[in-house]
Amino acid sequence: MSGGIARGRLAEERKAWRKNHPHVRGGFVAKPETLPDGTVNLMVWHCTIPGKAGTDWEGGYFPLTLHFSEDYPSKPPKCKFPQGFFHPNVYPSGTVCLSILNEDSGWRPAITVKQILIGIQDLLDAPNPADPAQTEGYHLFIQDANEYKRRVRQQAKQYPPLV
Amino acid sequence: MAASDSDDVNLAHDDTADDDYFYLDDTDYDLHPPQASDSLDDDQLQGSDSRNDDDDDLLQSSDRHDDGDLDCDDNDDGDENALEEDDHDSPISGQNFSVLTEADIRHRIKDNIAEVSSVLSISKNEASSLLLHYNWSVSNIFDSWFADEKAAREKAGLFLEPLIESPDHGSSICVICFEDYPCDGTKSTSCGHRYCNDCWSSYIKTAIADGPQSLLLTCPHPSCRAAVGEDMVGLFASEKEKNKYSSYIVMSYIESKKMIKWCPGPGCENAIDFVAGSENLDVSCLCSHSFCWNCTQDAHRPVDCETVTKWMSKNSSESGNVNYILAFTKPCPKCKRPIEKNMGCSHMTCRAPCLYEFCWLCLGDWNNHGTCNRFKGNPEEEKREKAKQYVMKYTHYFERWATNQNSMKKGAADLQKVQTEQIEVLSRIQAQPLAQISFVTEAWKQIIECRRVLAWTYAYGFYLPEECEAKRNLFEYLQGQAESGLERLHDCAEKELLSYLKDKISVEGFIEFRKKLTLLTRVTRNYFDNLVTALQNGLSDVNSGSSSVSKKRKSNWVAAAVNAAPVLDTNINDDSATAPAAAASAMEPWACAYCSYKNQSSATNCAMCRRGSWTCNVCTYANSRTSATCAMCTEAPEP
Repeated sequence: MSGGIARGRLAEERKAWRKNHPHVRGGFVAKPETLPDGTVNLMVWHCTIPGKAGTDWEGGYFPLTLHFSEDYPSKPPKCKFPQGFFHPNVYPSGTVCLSILNEDSGWRPAITVKQILIGIQDLLDAPNPADPAQTEGYHLFIQDANEYKRRVRQQAKQYPPLV
Repeated sequence: MAASDSDDVNLAHDDTADDDYFYLDDTDYDLHPPQASDSLDDDQLQGSDSRNDDDDDLLQSSDRHDDGDLDCDDNDDGDENALEEDDHDSPISGQNFSVLTEADIRHRIKDNIAEVSSVLSISKNEASSLLLHYNWSVSNIFDSWFADEKAAREKAGLFLEPLIESPDHGSSICVICFEDYPCDGTKSTSCGHRYCNDCWSSYIKTAIADGPQSLLLTCPHPSCRAAVGEDMVGLFASEKEKNKYSSYIVMSYIESKKMIKWCPGPGCENAIDFVAGSENLDVSCLCSHSFCWNCTQDAHRPVDCETVTKWMSKNSSESGNVNYILAFTKPCPKCKRPIEKNMGCSHMTCRAPCLYEFCWLCLGDWNNHGTCNRFKGNPEEEKREKAKQYVMKYTHYFERWATNQNSMKKGAADLQKVQTEQIEVLSRIQAQPLAQISFVTEAWKQIIECRRVLAWTYAYGFYLPEECEAKRNLFEYLQGQAESGLERLHDCAEKELLSYLKDKISVEGFIEFRKKLTLLTRVTRNYFDNLVTALQNGLSDVNSGSSSVSKKRKSNWVAAAVNAAPVLDTNINDDSATAPAAAASAMEPWACAYCSYKNQSSATNCAMCRRGSWTCNVCTYANSRTSATCAMCTEAPEP
């Protein structure tokens, strides 16, 4: 497997992202990691996902890290929230469980970083109970809607806008 | 053993002939009427599509599949085709399975693809995508295609027209790597989504490396269901990856067929096509691995799969214990020197100067060794804990099971040696043509089969409930008879043969030996047939003493007698008049010599234990009261 195109593709993704007007980005942030020596590591992106307006997630700006492998875009990136993130489809490690990010089912090489971020934003308020990834979030979602709402709102407050 | 492809027909001719004989022999008590293989299915389909399709297609497809009624106006041609098909697909009549080599499987796959492609007038590539999506069921494809072609195409991801228009000039951006390419530098499958060759190549390579799900690969575009099939793989994958892809296809074909399974033999790549409805579940691959089609454990006729599973899991959980008990050596019962068993039969002879002969299993003196298959609890032992008794019982059965398994393996190795070396040596030294020596290989094949059966009867015996005393008696009796017959046969084939390999003794001596070994082979086979039949009936003979069962039983024994000695045909019906012993006591009630039950004067076999009334001095078979000569070995009773 030639991993050669991973960096080229990511450079193009970066260009395409920057072409978007900040207004169009709608609070999304996506930029490659800058190492202490000032060089840019295209293989890890630090992103922010804003909670959708009109949902319990509104007001939260959730940090997400994308880890790309040399097999990208044949293989999907690994997408991680902070450890212990509260959501039925996020593993205790913070890794997001989403069909389009699963190399065995939904991933296609033509899915862009922007599509990934929008997909995850949609997932926040529309969890998939058929695919639980953590006990706490799943059980509250299924059994105690009020407590679930409370926890979501509380978490949104924990992640205020950075600026 | 259906030599299914012309490549395989060229195998050494003698060998295949022998094998066939052996296999037929082996299953002769449950011969099935020849059944058509799955080609029947195809033929029916062929018939059904004749209603849907026009004549041109029919003629095309009848090139390969022929059911005769399609071209009744052209009989010669039809016969020829039918013969060809027999060569390919039909198992030998009576055989419950056929072996498929990789070439056979590929041949069938090719046939399926060609059939679908010609009937539906689509490309072979599209046909194979359809087959992969419809689990290789040609009939399902035809059903849904003719019901709703669009839905069928949708399901398999085959689009008639591209979903998007492709630019016919200038350049386009590959949305995987975001590079500009001229149009001829990009490719698309039926949907029209174009990507550059490099991206296609790494997409397909990654998919193939990920495993068989690459067979259902779809276009890289999110949410596009267009199939990426064999043609694209052919364009973009390396030789190695193409081979991998095509082995996935073979795997998917076999796994979709309920009646085909891979041979579990180590390193074997053949598959077994089982004839649905066969009672005999034992199959034997070309790699000489025999296994049960149902549970894929080693062949275990006549014991059922459940017992085998129970037995095998018990063995693995207790093997440490039992292995310790058994170790690999036993002390000679006389001189106490440790002895390792290195031959197949249980007749042991200690080294000089001791030369004590004993039975490996019970350590009893060989000279008055009858049978030791029966489990005897020692009265003193009974006072000990039950658990101890249980372990001992298990050890008893396990040891006999394991010893026979090993003897079977040793026998298989010996047969190999006989076939590759000894037959020729024997032929040279004894100045006999090879055809006159085949009785040695026959004997060895019988030994291997019998060791296998005998081993499993010990698993059966272990689970046979203690309280069914009558069943247990019958079982142990039949097993004992079979086992001692087998020991004689194995001893003769293993030990007596040796002297004939060294030098020529006399023509008469050799002929005598041949007679003896052939007789022993036949007798042993009959014993085991009886044992197998009885176990497969669940030893039902002893439960109901009704006359209908006794008739059935008798007919079995008569069948055995006919097998053993066709010359007896005339005796069987009217021997009551000629047999001296029977005639003298025909009117008197008689006591069974084995179970002491007092029988009616008309009874020919004991109504209680079903055994006969007299024991043959030569082979120890218990014969019916009315038989003038032994039904097993045709010897007359000693006066």
